[in-house]
Amino acid sequence: MKSPISFKVAKNGIVLKLDPNAEFNRIKNALRDHVTSATNFYAGADLYINIADNSFKIDQLNEIVNIARGYKDVKNIIFTSDVIKKDTIEINNEGETYLINRTLRSGQKVKKSGNVVIIGDINPGAEVIAGGDIIVFGKIRGVVHAGAGGSTEASVTALKLEPTQLRISKKIARPPEESKNRKSLNPERAFIQDGQIMVENFEI
Amino acid sequence: MAGKSLVITSGKGGVGKTTTVANIGTALAMMDYKVCLIDADIGLRNLDVVMGLENRIVYDIVDVVEDNCRLEQALIRDKRHKNLFLLPAAQTRDKTAVQPNQMKSLVEDLKKEMDYVVIDSPAGIEQGFKNAIAGADFALIVTTPEVSAVRDADRIIGLLEAEGLKDPEVIINRINAEMVSRGDMMNIEDIIEILAVQLKGIVPEDNIIIVSSNRGEPVVLKDNPKAGQAFKNIAKRITGEEVNFISLEDNSFFTKLKKIFSFS
Repeated sequence: MKSPISFKVAKNGIVLKLDPNAEFNRIKNALRDHVTSATNFYAGADLYINIADNSFKIDQLNEIVNIARGYKDVKNIIFTSDVIKKDTIEINNEGETYLINRTLRSGQKVKKSGNVVIIGDINPGAEVIAGGDIIVFGKIRGVVHAGAGGSTEASVTALKLEPTQLRISKKIARPPEESKNRKSLNPERAFIQDGQIMVENFEI
Repeated sequence: MAGKSLVITSGKGGVGKTTTVANIGTALAMMDYKVCLIDADIGLRNLDVVMGLENRIVYDIVDVVEDNCRLEQALIRDKRHKNLFLLPAAQTRDKTAVQPNQMKSLVEDLKKEMDYVVIDSPAGIEQGFKNAIAGADFALIVTTPEVSAVRDADRIIGLLEAEGLKDPEVIINRINAEMVSRGDMMNIEDIIEILAVQLKGIVPEDNIIIVSSNRGEPVVLKDNPKAGQAFKNIAKRITGEEVNFISLEDNSFFTKLKKIFSFS
C-alpha cells in the first residue's frame, strides 16, 4: 500500500504532505516510523506540513506536531495550505533521503546511496554522489552524480544549475562554455531522456 | 593580560599571507597594542625578512618547543616598535618539528603577555596548516581575485569550520580597480557570493608592496594611501572599530579628476 505521507520539494523547503484519503491512525504511524528511521531528516531546517486537502481536528493537529517534534533539531514546524502543483518533484520515499543543511565547500564530498537534498550551495570543487536524486535549494557549481548506482530515472534539480560536471547514471554532461547570466536564479532540472542528459526549466 | 590570537591563512601560496601578517601586526603595534607575530612556516621562513629582522634571529620556534631556550629568549623585538615581537620559524627543520598541541600551548602562553598574537600560516592544508590554526581564536583568509585562489580559500573555510574555527573572515588582496571595471577580474561581489563569509578588508594592488617587502619595511609604516591604508583599516576592524571600506574608485586621485571632468 502507498505510504500516507510523502515529501515534496516546494518553494520554501521540504514539505510533508499527508494523504487526505488515509485514516488518521495510518498517517500517525507512518510519520512516527519516519521520525524514528530518519531522525536527522529535518535537522536545522524548517518543517512544512501541508494540510491543504486534509481536515483535521485540533487535537489531531496537536498529535501530528508532537510526533514531528521528534525530528532531531527541527527548527520550526509550519502549517501551509498552498496547493502543491502536480508536477512538483516528489522525493522518492523508497530509498532513504539525506538532508544536508549547509553549503558544501571545495574539497567536501557527500556520497549516499539514497537521495540527497541540500539546503545551501555546492561550490566548485565539492562533489555529491547519490544513488537517487539530488535536489539543491541553492546553486550547483561543483560536480554532481545522481543515479550513481545506474538508475537512469534519477534527476538533479537546483535553483541554479551551473555544475562543473553533471552525471546521471552512466551519462556525463558539461555545461556550455559560454557563461550564463550569473545573477538570476533559474530553477532547472536535469534528467535522462532518449539516452541523453536533458535540462529543462523548472517552476517551483 | 588575555589577548586574542588570529591566524592568517589562504591555502594557495603567493597570495600575500606574510605581507598581510607583517602589515596588520605592525599596524596593531602602531595603535599601541602589544603584538607578537608567529611565523608557522617552518622550513620556508619569510616573515623575518619582510619585517627586516632576519639578522637578529638567535633562537626560533622549534628551539622553544624543544626546550633549547625560554620563550622570551626566542622573541625578537621589532626595531621600530618596542611593543611588537616576532617568533621566527626554524629554517633548517620542517613542519613535523612542531605538533598542534605544542603550538596551542605556545600560543596560550603568548596570549598571557600580548594583546594580539598573529600567526602566519604556510600554504597548503597539511601539517603546517594544522599547526598554524591549532592555537588560533579566529581566522582571516587571504585571497586574490583569481578563480584558483578563491577555490582554495573555499576549501580552507571548509577545513576551518571542521576544526571548530567558526565564521572566518576574508581579505581580498591585490585587487586592481581598473581590471575589475573592465570586467577582466573577479569582482568583490563574485568572491563573497561563493565564499559566503564576512569581508574583512580589500587591499588594492600596489607595486610599493614589493619594494617594502624587499626592504623589510611594512608598508603601513609609510603614509601610503592605497595598500597601507587598507591594512591599517583591517587592523582597526580587528580591534572592533567600524571602518568603512575604501571605495576602489576613490583610491586614485586621477580617477577622481577624470570623474569631475566627465561631468563637464
